[in-house]
Parts: sequence; structure tokens; C-alpha cells
Amino acid sequence: MGAEKRYDAVIIGGGHNGLVTAAYLARAGKRVVVLEQRPRVGGSAVTEEIYPGFKFSSLSYVVSLLRPEIIRELELPRHGLELLPLESTLTPLPNGDHLVRWADHDLTRRELYRHSPKDAEAYDDFGKLMYHLAFAMKPILGIVPPDPTSLSPKDLRSLLKLSKHYRGLPAEQFYALCKLMTMSAADYLDEWFETEPLKATMSASGIIGTFLGVRSPGTAYVLLHHYMGEIDGVFRAWGFAKGGTGAVSEAIAAAARERGAEIRTETVVERVIVKSGRAVGVALDGGDEIYARVVVSGVDPKLSFLKLVDSKDLPSDFVDAIRRYKIRGSSGKVNLALSELPNLTCRPGVGPHLRGAISISPSIEYMERAYDDAKYGSFSRHPYMDIIIPSMIDPGMAPPGQHVMSIFCQYAPFELKGGWDDTQREAFGDAVVDTLTEFAPNLKRAILHRHVVTPWEMQEEYGLTQGNIFHGELSLHQLFFNRPAHPWADYRTPIKRYYQCGSGTHPGGGITGASGRLAALNILKDW
Amino acid sequence: MNDTYDAIVIGAGHNGLVTAAYLAKAGRRVLVLERRELIGGATVTEEIHPGFKFDTGAHSITRLHPAVVADLRLAAHGLEVLPLDPTVFAPGPNGEHLLLWRKPADTATSIGELSPADAAGWPGFTALVAKASRLLETVAETTPPDVLSKKLKDNWVMLRLAGRLRRLGKRDMVEVLRILPMTVVELLDEWFETDLLKGTLGAAGITGMSQGPMAAGTAHLFLHQHIGTREGALRSALRARGGIGGLAAALAKAAQGHGATIRTNAWVERITVEDGRATGVALVSGEEIAGRLVVSGVDPKRTYCDLLDPMNLDVEFLRRVRNIRFKGVCARVNLALGELPDFACLPGAGPHLRGLISVSPSLDYLERAFDDAKYGDFSREPYLEAVIPSLTDDSLAPAGKHVMSILVQYAPYDLKGGVWDDAKREALGDRVVETLSRYAPNLEAAVLHRQVLTPLDLEAVFGLTEGNIYHGEMTLDQLFLMRPVPGWARYRAPLAGLYLCGAGTHPGGGVTGTPGYNAAREILRDARR
Repeated sequence: MGAEKRYDAVIIGGGHNGLVTAAYLARAGKRVVVLEQRPRVGGSAVTEEIYPGFKFSSLSYVVSLLRPEIIRELELPRHGLELLPLESTLTPLPNGDHLVRWADHDLTRRELYRHSPKDAEAYDDFGKLMYHLAFAMKPILGIVPPDPTSLSPKDLRSLLKLSKHYRGLPAEQFYALCKLMTMSAADYLDEWFETEPLKATMSASGIIGTFLGVRSPGTAYVLLHHYMGEIDGVFRAWGFAKGGTGAVSEAIAAAARERGAEIRTETVVERVIVKSGRAVGVALDGGDEIYARVVVSGVDPKLSFLKLVDSKDLPSDFVDAIRRYKIRGSSGKVNLALSELPNLTCRPGVGPHLRGAISISPSIEYMERAYDDAKYGSFSRHPYMDIIIPSMIDPGMAPPGQHVMSIFCQYAPFELKGGWDDTQREAFGDAVVDTLTEFAPNLKRAILHRHVVTPWEMQEEYGLTQGNIFHGELSLHQLFFNRPAHPWADYRTPIKRYYQCGSGTHPGGGITGASGRLAALNILKDW
Repeated sequence: MNDTYDAIVIGAGHNGLVTAAYLAKAGRRVLVLERRELIGGATVTEEIHPGFKFDTGAHSITRLHPAVVADLRLAAHGLEVLPLDPTVFAPGPNGEHLLLWRKPADTATSIGELSPADAAGWPGFTALVAKASRLLETVAETTPPDVLSKKLKDNWVMLRLAGRLRRLGKRDMVEVLRILPMTVVELLDEWFETDLLKGTLGAAGITGMSQGPMAAGTAHLFLHQHIGTREGALRSALRARGGIGGLAAALAKAAQGHGATIRTNAWVERITVEDGRATGVALVSGEEIAGRLVVSGVDPKRTYCDLLDPMNLDVEFLRRVRNIRFKGVCARVNLALGELPDFACLPGAGPHLRGLISVSPSLDYLERAFDDAKYGDFSREPYLEAVIPSLTDDSLAPAGKHVMSILVQYAPYDLKGGVWDDAKREALGDRVVETLSRYAPNLEAAVLHRQVLTPLDLEAVFGLTEGNIYHGEMTLDQLFLMRPVPGWARYRAPLAGLYLCGAGTHPGGGVTGTPGYNAAREILRDARR
């Protein structure tokens, strides 16, 4: 067993958050090594050429809320990051009509008028309110969560500051925020709009990656996310990275490498080495050991604390809390290689609408029925889908004249009745393709290859426990000072010099990099 | 025109009567106006079928605010409270059963027959529920502070609540904060494995909610229902001798004893307003009655949208009122029985029939019952909570015969493809009797008379908007600072001289008297200024 050279920090998992932490630590002059078990970095933010010539963003497919300060501080554009806007969201309807919202505000307004003049008017007011609320929420996302039970000056100061901030809001905004935190997306939108596909499509963002329906309280808050991007002057919240989502990871990796970080792929960490209550390094599956001053885990809390370390090294109530931590996966991914573009009945031919997202969410009832299947352990017979055709935005993703289609689909529960196997996986793929073919009849014959990822594959191949794309459900009781468990929401862990930087920490979820950055800043503070 | 009253209370429901009694006790001249021919609102006992008396609205007392019982000397005014023991009898789907008793050890024994592990978890769980509900009790008795105010007083209220939270200790404080926004499924899954136990406890989290147990906010409602329950006695309910109407009668006597006047058959048509101030009420009969203050015990939507001219209210405020979700999901079935139901899982007329009888075999069962309602139909297999008060109170039915009141969920107010007509009403009644007969086969034949109250009937009879038994859903977004509407949670209306005192205000529904108690305190506080 050769002890290798000593590092300042070893980071477990080369997902985007792990890479962000690595880049920030390297930037501060630390000697960093990132260990990734797969052949390429990125974790869930990865581009893979599964069929020759066709590049898939296998899991995560849009860049949602990548923090602008990270783009700036790590100079990601210089490292190859190019974000391309998604122009529209199209919702095809079973009656042959459709609803489309464009990046162009006037076009959207005109389209909404066609469905409901009242909604067209309300849409503007709604947008304004959301804009203000997104602004009001910002401070929460950028801080280390204060511990409400602590009487330390630091926590009290932070709590006081937050309370002052929120109580300084105009009453209308304060109460709207209270409602957003506690309501269901569908109920909240009911207060504003009447057009079913509009409500269904907007509310869909509230359920992505959760085991909740659009009528479940707690889903309204995510509506804000769509407005957060705008504050930072970034086009919309949702964009597509040229080269696929893996390009985001590659850019962050390049930034880290430039500052001297070392990234090793196909390196499986078996456990964290803990000596007298202190993490000193990691042991690899081959038996090698890598020593470092700090160990940072970018994998989810279940893996970080129940697999990588011995529970003897942790307080038992913490272990209980991590065991209770909810991490049910609920979504799947279907990636298609296509010989031709889908021809939508509601909007035939090739048009700018194919450069945006296509959302299969015709009504609230459709969404709820999809959820009902999952509640009792089946995948949705008619799933909600969020579809993009990356090759329309970035021609490099597929051979000329051919296309790739990325379909995010929900619900596909990890705990499937009878368990996931090849038959179930393909049955799920069929449900997705069949449902979509109802809206685009040529789809089925255009399919050259099909790549179906269920929560089971997400766990087994990508290391997401139970296939949960957010490293743990984003429900109120698992957020802020409870993410992943009180009082360890400050990126530290009960083991000295063992840190966490993944989506299972505040603020969690999505390709934001926020967890990775806050973790790095906190680690440096402790240094 | 009559002499001017100091306060006119609209609606002789139990909260209206509590407020009236306190105002009268403080020396005010109080008039209570009730639309129906009898008082009580939803806490009423009626002889629907000769010789059979039913609690047609609420069939049990959640928990009375102890101050109300003492201050108004309700016992002296004839209130006799009978605790149910066992608290719950739940027949299982496979011939098993569960009994929850007031004594935790007895409950643990019953649970132990289903799962020793769950029995072992019982004391820990009930201790947690007790701690959480003690905190909620403090919150319930506090007038929601004006959080946006910079005034010292409001800051003080918030600090006091924060202090109370801290007093739980670090560990429990975090635990309580963690579980409050959860779903009751998540909460119970952390503790128990037995479906029948989880379903039976979880039912307390969905009562009156247009949500299934998998919805966030149901854990809060579960804890809220347990405010003031003695440690270990979960889902414990109280009855009043003579029916729940006995509570209303005692409250009325207390109010009258302090000089209040109560008029029945007095239907208020509108609140009269002059110069931006409530000046009294006008009755449907045309009579106008002047009052220095008007206190509405009816729900906020009725108060603001029906009883007031919208001209008197701000547009944004009205929008908020219209956005209050009611979505009634409860129906009631009252049965006059020739004999007691005989449950296959526990035959005979044992003590088990004295508690709440809960048809709640599992959390999935409750969720599926909700699924039907979500799409506008009543549940194929409804959740039922039945009580046979005549077992402990022989004044309610002829000798040897019995009355059974059943709360049915889910029966949505808005039916898809139709309205609640006679055919639908009877179909619901049949469904309920069938469901219960599956557990107690003799029931169907024992029914002498049946009364079915759909949500539409609850609205028509009791004036509950959309048949919501809580005067507005008890979801997280409609509680505390947000009840009945954000910014107006302090019992005062945005119109001088008008107050609210019903279940639509903090802390909400259930037979507690707390909203009425809090409202009276705020009214008297303003009067002292």
C-alpha cells in the first residue's frame, strides 16, 4: 500500500459541485485532488456519446441557476462555457391546440390573449411580483444557514439580519412569500390564472425531482426559480450549454485544473479514513490511500455518512437523522437519437418552437393523475415530460440532418412495485414514447436509438441514491438549517476535517454550484 | 329602532357564544343573533327522528379552552363533559382491530398485538406529540402578531413565542420545527410500521382537509388536533351530556347570566355601515338593530362578501378574501339504529363501541379516498369516523335503540358533472352504510332512519361556505398570520367597529372556543383604549 503524495484537500466525486469546491480551493492556493468514479467528470452534469455521433446530456439537460458569481469568479466563459438560450416553452394539447410562451414578452402576451385575455393581463402582474420575490429570496440562497437553536453571536446576528430583511419587505411581498413557501403550485396559480395548460406547465417546475404532485403544498416556491435568473441579467433561468450539460462540468474542471487541481477519473473511493475523530484521507477500492488535510464529499448525504464512513465515528442521533433523510427518486430520463424532427400535430413542420422546450402538461388533472400512479408504486402511464431537442440549438450534438431529443419524465418511482428490471425499464420507455407519439405521430418511426434511464440506473450508474436528482428531496423540512440535518447544515460534519459540498447541503438542487461554492468558502474559513 | 347595543354578535355558534359571554361578563350590552330557530351553529343536537337526538354538525368536542370553561363556569351552567374511553376503535381490513385508550399502557397493549415494535415506539411518539402540541397551544392562545410592525409590543410577542420555542430545548425545538411542515405520512412512517395504526392516527391529519395524508401540512393538522390532550391519549375526543348541543346551551346560559340577549330566527342580511364604520345590522325581516360594535361569528367569506357591501372594502383585500380556500370535503350521515352494530373483528357490545369508530385501515386507503375527490367524485371507499353517543347517554335514543353520527370524507363540495341532488345524496348514504357494513354486517338491517348531509346541505343548514367545517381550510398557508387573510389575522376587520370571532380566524376550526376567546380579548383591549 503506497502512501501517495499529500494533498491539502481530497474531493470525493467530480460532479459539478465537487468541481466548484475544487476550483475555489485551488484558487486559494490549496493542493486539491478530485476523485471521480466514472470515466468522465460531471456526475449528473455530463455529456455522453452513447451512440456514435449522437451526444446526450444523459441526465441533467438544462442549466438552471448556475450562480453568476461562479461564472464570473471562475471565468467559465474563458474555459469554454457558452450558454445558449431556450427560446420558448410549448405545451401541445390533446385537442390539437397548443400554448406557447416565448422569451419575447409581447409574443407571449399575444398568445395568452388567444387563450384568456384575463390571464394575459395577470401574467404581467404575476411576473412583476415574482421578480420582486425572487429578489427577496436571494439573500437566503447565498448564506450559510444560521442555526436557530444556537445562541452564538454569529448565528444570532445572521438570524437577526434575515428577520430584518424579511420584515422590511412591503406587506404584499412578505405575505406572498409566506404563501409561496406553504402552498401548492397549482393552488397558487389558481389565484392568478384560469388557462389550464398555462397553470399545468408553470406548476410542473414545482414538482421536478420531487415526490409531490402539483397540488401538494410546498411546490409553489419553485415558481420563483424561473424568475431568479433574470435578476442577474442572465437570459431567463433556463439555458442550454453548448456541447451539452457536460460542457458546464468541463469548464469548471478546466478552471480547477488551471489553478493546479488534479482530477482523477475512474477512481472509486471506498471509504473515508478517520483517525481519532478526524478525517485524514480516503481509501480507494484498489487499496491505495490518499491523505489530505481535509476530505470533502460531493456525493449525497446517504453515501457520505452511511457508506463512506463508519457509523461508529458519528453521533447516533446524526446517523438516525441521515437514515430518515428522504431521498426518493421520482423521475426518469429518455434520450432519443432521431432520424428526423418530430412533427407536432398542433404545430406542424419545423419552426422556432422546436428550439425551445416542449412540455407535456396539458392540464392540472393530467399532472395529478401522473402523480397518482407513482404514489402507489407504478410509473406514470401518461407521464409529465419536459423535452428539448439539443441538436436544434447546437448542431454539433448530432450528425447532420439527424437529431437528439432529451426527455425528462416524471413520475418513475425508485420503489417500483416489483422492482426495476430491463422489462420495466423498456415498458417505461414505451409509455414515454407512446404518450409523446400522441402529440407527434411521426416520432416512433424516427427513433434510431433509445436510451432509458430510470431511478435505478441513476443510482447504479451515476451514484445518486435512490435516483434522486437533488441528493435529497427539497421539501420544507429538509431545507435550510435542516439540510441535510441539524446542526450540520454549515457544510461541516460531526467528523473533524470532513466536509460536504453536494446538493444535499443548502441550498441544494439543480446545476447552481451554490452548495459547492459556499462549502469551499466555509472550508477556507476553517483553514 | 331598539336601544343601541354595545355589541351585536352574528351567529350563535359556539365561538360566537364564547365571545358574547365574555363581552357580557365585562359589562357590555350584548345581543346575539341566530338565523336558525335553535342556537349552537355546528355544535347542535337535534331530534331528527322522533325519540332520536343527533349531533348533526360536530359530534365531539376537540378540546375546550380551559380558561373558557373556568371563566364562564360552564359546569355550573350545566355542561357535563364525558371523555370517550377508548378514544378510538379501528376495525382492520383482515379481521384485526386496534384500540386507542386514554391510558397509554392499555394502548400499547392493543398496538402490541399488531406490532411489538410499534408498541415500543408509542411512548416516544406520544411524548413528541405532547411537546409539539404544547407549543401549538401557546401559539393558539396568542393573537397573531403584526410581524411587519416595528412596534415594541409586536416584537415582544414574537420574542415571547421564540422564547417558548427555545424552552423546548435544543433537540426538541429542532424536531418540532422539522415535523411541523411535514406530511402526516412522513411523520408516521418515521415511527410506525402497522398500516392500521398509521391510518388511524393519520386520519386526524386530514379531517376537513381537501388533501390526502401525503400532502404537506397534514402533520401540522394532526398536531393541532392534539392541543391539550393528555400525554398518551391520542385522537381523544370529548362528548357533552345531552349531545354537543349541551355545550351551546351552557355557553348561552353563561352569556345570558351576564345579561346578554340571544335571539333566534333572526337572520342578519347585512352589516350596516356609516362613515366607514359598522353601526349595526339589518335583518332579513327589515328590522335594523344598532350596535357600537359588530362581531361576526360566521365565516370570513360570508362576512366580507355577503354581509358587507363591497364598496366598504379595499379591492386587494376582497381579492384575498375570495382566494380563501374552503373546498368542503366532509359529509355527515346520522343513523337511528334498532340495535348496536356488531363488528366482525370484535363482536358484541363491548366498551370498544364507546369511542370514536374509525374506518381508516391504512394511509394508502385515506389517500385513495382523496384521489376520488380530487377529480370531483365522492370516495369509493370513504374514511369514516363514527360515534354512538347513546351508549353513554341514554337521553339520546329510546331504550334499547341507538343513534350513530358519522363524519364522512371525502365528499367534495364541487361534484364533477353534477350537483348534490337527492340521488347523489342517497348514493353517498348507501356508500357509507355499505362501507361500514363490511366491518359490521348487521348494520344495514339495523338502520331505522337515515339522515345524509352533503357539503351542500352543510352549507345550507349551518351556513358553512362550501360546507367547510373549519370556516376555511386548515392548510399551512391559511393559518396564524394568514388566517383568515394575510395582514388581517388579529380579529379586527378593515372596517372600524367590525370584528371576527369564528373558526375562520386564528387558531381555526374544531370545537375549542379559542377563536371566540381570543377575539373577545382583542375587542376588550381595543375598548380600553
